[in-house]
Amino acid sequence: MRLRVCHLYPDVLNLYGDRGNLLVFQRRAQWRGIELDVDQIMLGDKGDFNSYDFIFIGGGSDSRRTLVLKNLEKIAPYIVDAVEKGAVLLAVGLGFQLLGRYIMAEDGTVIAGAGVFDAYTEMGSNRAVGDILLEATADLQEELKKAGNKDITTLIGFENHSGRTYLGEQGKPLGRVIKGEGNNSRDGTEGACYKNAFGTFLHGPVLAKNPHFADLLLLKALSPQEEISLDPLDDSLEILAHNTMKKRLI
Amino acid sequence: MKSKKSIVLGERVVNKNSINKGFRFWLAFYAGRFSAFLCRLFRLSGTSLPGVVALKLCPQLLFYLGSAYEKVIAVTGTNGKTTTTNLISYYLQQAGETVVGNGEGANMISGVATALIKDCNLLGTAQSRTVVLEVDEGSVGKILPAVKPDLIVVTNYFRDQLDRYSELDQIITLLRKTIDGLPETELLLNADDPLAVAVGRGRSAVRYYGVKGERDCKEVEENEIREGGFCPDCGELLAYNYYHYGQLGDYRCTKCSFKRPEPDFVALDVDDSDLLHFSLYLQNKNTGEQEPQKGSLDLHSQLRGFYNVYNILAASAAAVIIGIPQQIIEASLPDYSTATGRLEQFIYQGRPCTLALIKNPIGVNEVIKTILPQEGKKAFLIAINDLAGDGKDVSWLWDADFEKLNQSMISKVVCSGRRAAEMAVRLKYAGLVTSKIVIEPGCRESLEVLGLQKVDQYYILASYTSLFNYAKLLRKMGKAVVNDAAQGLPSLS
Repeated sequence: MRLRVCHLYPDVLNLYGDRGNLLVFQRRAQWRGIELDVDQIMLGDKGDFNSYDFIFIGGGSDSRRTLVLKNLEKIAPYIVDAVEKGAVLLAVGLGFQLLGRYIMAEDGTVIAGAGVFDAYTEMGSNRAVGDILLEATADLQEELKKAGNKDITTLIGFENHSGRTYLGEQGKPLGRVIKGEGNNSRDGTEGACYKNAFGTFLHGPVLAKNPHFADLLLLKALSPQEEISLDPLDDSLEILAHNTMKKRLI
Repeated sequence: MKSKKSIVLGERVVNKNSINKGFRFWLAFYAGRFSAFLCRLFRLSGTSLPGVVALKLCPQLLFYLGSAYEKVIAVTGTNGKTTTTNLISYYLQQAGETVVGNGEGANMISGVATALIKDCNLLGTAQSRTVVLEVDEGSVGKILPAVKPDLIVVTNYFRDQLDRYSELDQIITLLRKTIDGLPETELLLNADDPLAVAVGRGRSAVRYYGVKGERDCKEVEENEIREGGFCPDCGELLAYNYYHYGQLGDYRCTKCSFKRPEPDFVALDVDDSDLLHFSLYLQNKNTGEQEPQKGSLDLHSQLRGFYNVYNILAASAAAVIIGIPQQIIEASLPDYSTATGRLEQFIYQGRPCTLALIKNPIGVNEVIKTILPQEGKKAFLIAINDLAGDGKDVSWLWDADFEKLNQSMISKVVCSGRRAAEMAVRLKYAGLVTSKIVIEPGCRESLEVLGLQKVDQYYILASYTSLFNYAKLLRKMGKAVVNDAAQGLPSLS
């Protein structure tokens, strides 16, 4: 079995070890006999977004925001279309902000985002930096269970983002902040979910620190092909790392 | 010694005791001295505390202290600061100069203040004529305007401690703004790093150093993280003829005229197979020719690792600029040995053991590239902490090329420190079988597990705050090795 994966803008959005997410996704697929074909879509490239099972976009320097958006706007409709049709997507950090409805810069100018998530960002001088712990929403917990997760209800990571991100009326968060700042330091939400698309500020990388979340994405990427369940893996190292940090944060 | 005319260019107006320092200065100065005394009394390291105390009482302290020196040299950048700073100081000492510096790596404002307070006698008179400072990238705005360096050396800019600095662009902008207020200061920049070159855009007193030619273009480093793919002038993508490592190499903008500047100091014929050896040419920039009246330096060092070519090159170029005779540079370099944790050698359990500081992806990649070609079976200990000095965000472990440790000659990797489990996860995804991975968070305990491994070589890679603990333990439980370069044989101390 093979999965087609798109890594969006690894040439500019490559900070905070986020590329580790693809490594984790790939290994966890390989350990179950599933191979990946990874397409790297660089600035200026066009991809065939109907053919991808999983799309990943990572974090990057805020100074690249305008440059990326200029390129992103050309392919944004295709990404939105792919997500509508059920493609699995993970967006982290700046990548998450760029896929919202818009970003309002410090001087008040508004730049349109790709519009995958019902979320918007107001830039400011504040910066949220530190370890973060979430309780996954009830819906997400339900889904994580289906992907074979036994009893982890939390997500863990390291956030490092500026501005405040707010969810719109249709926007659903990934989880509730137990420790850390989350989307905007105010309403206790973190991240966003829409269909099979997930946005988050959790670096770490998020899939390495949360193997149950990685398996959920993998299962979702596979399931349009056929109804399957994932073979369980020995995740004792990953769970030890997750629980060590959790204990420190609570 | 002091009455002798300086061999280095001492043109700076020296204000030894001529500035009216005022009550606050003296209060701060003696409070600092007293703190240093207490630190010694209670056997604390005391590389920053006296400065913290003194700066609280007199924020202008550095300005007064800095003005007492004939020559001020500052080194900043991400990697190689400590080695470059120490080597410049060493050259100066070999030339008979009196030098003070924060060579212990305390490179924020309090560390600099501490070093200068300690250099004064009880009357507040500086004992040294030259000061060589290692300056933290985030502290340049506070330190440089106060001490007004004659020369600033920039090593390179790599992603490092993103939790503290957030982004490289901000660090570079900060230095640019800072030197705008220092028109007299000369810059010595790494020509091979577009980010370091960006610092000197629009300035006239800039000189560059660089390494000539390709290192090994056959080996494509697909796993390497590279910064600075964009032109500092127009923002367009940079194209590369070759890379040395990271984003260091020969680049040019695909749109405007920005390109790697022709270096004034060029490293040629680099041999990094074991102890480093290369030639340093002084190049006439206008003709691109070697300057016949100056010629070249034949440099032999007991340091290893290609990245150290840059450190030696930067320090030697700085030494030439400040007027140290070339024969002193050539003759003294072979005896220079490394600072704590810069591939420091020990004997532990009867086996050679190398201790290396790791703090960012490029540093890890270069250290691994340097040690892997060494023969024999190996066991590693990787200690990762997440305190302020290490960087609280350890996600950088995923940008480093730990995949290289997935090979048969490495039989065990002990993971320790506050993030031991996360390091173990990183290695698992790098492809190591889990039977090779051991988690032992404690410092002494992890060292004991390493000592049980029956291999030919031990390697300890430690983040900043655990580095000194391992160095201390290795001196106690093992022995430090000092290279005797004259005979080319290691000897025990």
